[in-house]
Amino acid sequence: MRDLSSCSVAEIRAGIATGEFSAREVAQAAFDAIAQREPQVHAFLEQTPELAFQAADAVDAARAAGGVLGPLAGVPMAFKDNMNLQGTHTTCASRMLESYVSPYTATCVAKSLEAGALPLGKLNMDEFAFGSSTETSVFGPTHNPWDLTRVPGGSSGGSAAAVAAGMATVTLGSDTGGSIRQPASFCGVVGMKPSYGVVSRFGVVAFGSSLDQVGPLGKTVADVAATLDVIAGIDPRDCTSQNLSAGPDGKPAAFSQALEQDVAGMRIGVVPAFIKAKGVEPEVVAALDGALAKLEGLGAQLVEIELPHVAAAMAAYYVIGPCEAFSNLSCFDSIRYGYRHEGARDMGEQYERSRAHGFGMETARRIMLGSYLLSSGVYDAYYYPAQQVRTLIIQDYAQAFAQVDALVTLVSPRAAFRFGEISDPTAMHLSDMFTVSTNIAGNGALSLPVGLGADSGLPVGVQIIGPQFRDGEILRVAAALERCYDFNRLAPLARGGEW
Amino acid sequence: MYLSEKDVRDIAAYTRIGLPDEEVAAVTVDLNNIIEGLKPITEFDLQGVEPTFHPLAGLVNVMRDDVAKPGLSQEEALANAAAHKNGQFLIPPILAGGGE
Amino acid sequence: MKDLLSVLRDWEAVIGLEVHTELTTLNSKMFCSCPVEFGAAPNTHVCPVCLGLPGALPVPNKAAIESIVLAGLATNCDIEKQTMFYRKNYFYPDMSRNLQVTQGPVAFCMRGHLDVEVSGIAAKERQFYEGATLLDEQTGAYVAHINITRIHMEEDAGKLIHVGGTDGRISGASYSLVDYNRIGTPLIELVTEPDLRTPEEARLFLQKLRQTYLTLGISDCSMEEGSLRCDGNVSLRPRGVKEFGTKTELKNMNSFKNLHDGLAYEICRQAEVLESGGTVRQETRHWEPAEKRTFSMRVKETADDYRYFPDPDLAPFDLSDEFIQQVRARLPELPDAKKRRFIDAFGLAPDVAGSLAGDVAMAAFFDAAMSERPVLLAKPVANLLLNEVAAYLNASDVSLAEVRLTPLGLSELAGLLLEEYISSKQAKQVLTLMAESGEAPLQIIEKHGMKQVSDTGAIDALVAEILAANPDKVVEYQGGKTGLIGFFVGQVMQATKGQGNPKLINELLHKHLDG
Repeated sequence: MRDLSSCSVAEIRAGIATGEFSAREVAQAAFDAIAQREPQVHAFLEQTPELAFQAADAVDAARAAGGVLGPLAGVPMAFKDNMNLQGTHTTCASRMLESYVSPYTATCVAKSLEAGALPLGKLNMDEFAFGSSTETSVFGPTHNPWDLTRVPGGSSGGSAAAVAAGMATVTLGSDTGGSIRQPASFCGVVGMKPSYGVVSRFGVVAFGSSLDQVGPLGKTVADVAATLDVIAGIDPRDCTSQNLSAGPDGKPAAFSQALEQDVAGMRIGVVPAFIKAKGVEPEVVAALDGALAKLEGLGAQLVEIELPHVAAAMAAYYVIGPCEAFSNLSCFDSIRYGYRHEGARDMGEQYERSRAHGFGMETARRIMLGSYLLSSGVYDAYYYPAQQVRTLIIQDYAQAFAQVDALVTLVSPRAAFRFGEISDPTAMHLSDMFTVSTNIAGNGALSLPVGLGADSGLPVGVQIIGPQFRDGEILRVAAALERCYDFNRLAPLARGGEW
Repeated sequence: MYLSEKDVRDIAAYTRIGLPDEEVAAVTVDLNNIIEGLKPITEFDLQGVEPTFHPLAGLVNVMRDDVAKPGLSQEEALANAAAHKNGQFLIPPILAGGGE
Repeated sequence: MKDLLSVLRDWEAVIGLEVHTELTTLNSKMFCSCPVEFGAAPNTHVCPVCLGLPGALPVPNKAAIESIVLAGLATNCDIEKQTMFYRKNYFYPDMSRNLQVTQGPVAFCMRGHLDVEVSGIAAKERQFYEGATLLDEQTGAYVAHINITRIHMEEDAGKLIHVGGTDGRISGASYSLVDYNRIGTPLIELVTEPDLRTPEEARLFLQKLRQTYLTLGISDCSMEEGSLRCDGNVSLRPRGVKEFGTKTELKNMNSFKNLHDGLAYEICRQAEVLESGGTVRQETRHWEPAEKRTFSMRVKETADDYRYFPDPDLAPFDLSDEFIQQVRARLPELPDAKKRRFIDAFGLAPDVAGSLAGDVAMAAFFDAAMSERPVLLAKPVANLLLNEVAAYLNASDVSLAEVRLTPLGLSELAGLLLEEYISSKQAKQVLTLMAESGEAPLQIIEKHGMKQVSDTGAIDALVAEILAANPDKVVEYQGGKTGLIGFFVGQVMQATKGQGNPKLINELLHKHLDG
């Protein structure tokens, strides 16, 4: 029998359509793989076999009845634990929400399920998505399937690790400053943060409302595109969601279609300032150089680009993100849901004790930082200028994309690090240095694995950034580049098994 | 230094996070380091630059029609609450010294 | 304490109002689709947005935005096309997200005004006319020009019940209960400039604003149920001084009378403080109608810092001319214009026209009753409405919409009154029957045999009959005992079973007796 761990979305769908295997068999194989690998990896915070088998049976029944199979029919899928799925926990890897059970479902999850995906469960993350290593999860870290002594990246560490370990075919993550792309790079999988507004945020627990974007992680660009086709689109319940610019027929074009086009004649921007940045490992630069050479070989033209204000993106991110997070996390007050300190004399004491105990240190730090930055007087010194800087960064990107069709650059200054290796919060924040600017500007970006680092032997990725709302361009470059590499996206521990 | 330990205590009180005394010093150091790292945004000439609060590429006036739809049942609404009574969320007194 | 009039002789009161109005006539809440409805079981009109569940997102109600634009146009505001919603961050259990969505420096409606006409005895409260236009030097009637700073859009909070203390008060309670049904009810807040100078102006301003909102149909404006809430800011300064004094904020003025009395008390209290050499403390005070005084509420130790910032979940607004034009087209005739029309088109007296125009239902009923009817009916129709109909509604505690009286019926009745077909006394009886049965006045008059007999021939015959039957009385009358006329009228009236036209009877008796 086929090793289903290595199967793509298209292969699973075709296998079910032709009767080679049933959706129920796929679900069973997925939970077998989880049973085998999860004890080492710890990507899941909750498994939902009942829901998965129920969904599998619905797919099998639809096939038996001759009905149309959804685009993700029978695809084993899992969701970052900041996405609501009715009847399951949504913990955000926080003690605050340890016992919280969602009474409703996020739009991105609902769309996946409508498309026939099999919901395997909820995935580990940094607490409330504050972090770059998944070490701040109150339920313990996720281990990088490539090297269990190393972090999977974060905050969507569980989402990346589950794919790399062959436990889920595709997963959803969220990206506020690099939280899909950096773990995808660390775990050697494809991860995409679409342009802000492409995927509805409804039902996804907010971190930074103007920065957060949901996106897919998968083994291949095609899997990511197929998933994005399903979850994208305007949602009447999210004011900031919008349809992509309409195609000639008035309908938004499918992302998957972009994969078939080649890159000959495309202008690809490179950003020298990024490569020269402090703390960037040579193997990461080498991997990028290799990718750029391959693109040139495919007939793309490389153009050097300057993004003069992007140097301030990190600072703007550490103003806007905490400010929005401070306000968004005010809802955790122990009254309607969430951790509650018992026996408080008054409401004030209950607030303080519940929030002190319910939030981890990094979360508390960001809330306090945001509260300070929004206070009167300080607002004008940081918050307002940060939003002005955002305008300049948007202009930088707009000017860049007047010259090029896409940018190809670094994802992370280095490959996956060891647990506990970075303990200083400011140093940890540098993990996001190449990713935050697209969250600030709203552009889409994708992390594509391009092999193992020459020094570390760990997966290394490159980042492809596109013009806002032209996410198909990103996928087009990614697919062309992907075809140049023969890189197995499954971590060694997941290989060779039979489902 | 941007924040004193007293400032940090005040901020913690405002955010309703009961910060233990023994953590105040460390949090003060961390926050000051982070704020130090925010300097780059103060280094540009921002005169006349409009802020972008919403990276929506010009999307405006998003509204919905005034149509009422049922929401959650009372049972669902209360399901995650640590305490409730008579269909309402139960909380300790707003001011301490209740029942005196 | 000195009385208000003598205080206002020495001091100028500077008053500003903040008026919160729930848009109760909408179907759904401000940022979610839960119904706007009162009196439901607790926490049954809630959803993930109302409860601030993690991941929920707000989406603004278009009709609420239209309503505030309507309110702005009706109060002469500039409509700001480019605005945003802001978040006001503070912890309180009645706000599920511990933040309130409101507006920032630029509200949908800015820089408006309403003119308030003050007459009668209350006009005496204003002793200097700066910023007002004197209408009548003898009575002191004047028009006060009240500027409106802004009207902004926000959302209401949930309801807290404090249990275990006295009178449901917050202090002494042993626990509290929270119901989020009301949270997210669309709320507009109007803020005036400190242009009001007397409690009566404040009362009349709020009354006019209420009439305006009711005319627009955007709220039921019930002060009793809290859908219209008014806070006041008051300070005093010596006459002729430009600088403002220290103000206090006044709460719990939940009726027009309480607004007037609360402000009047506070003005007198401040005067007493100042005149005894003290200083007014900037604080929030609570008007207690039962005790007729204001109390200081808890003083906050630190200044409020709400960490306002633009709400990133809500797209900004850039209202189009077309949008504003469509709302403008829905603007109904406002009370001032209506009053003017009632005076110009129907010849009503200003006070009658004003009373009618100030009551949406009455004014609409009047217009319906006068539709395609002769103008000379206007006065009796207006009088019947404002006197007899109002008295009936008041006595039976029903609204105009609930009674079976029709506009056509009312104008017919007015016509019969005008033609002296029935007497005023009869009209009142007929009206009551019309309100209860919905029958036409003639039908009722016939059924109850109430027609006023004005047939000269018939009455003349009866007069002759009565005089013939009482020859001795006739002699007495003609001998100078003219008071006997009453006896004759009574006799004739009895013979007509009370339906004779008294004027005609009199005339004919005199013709026979004096002739």
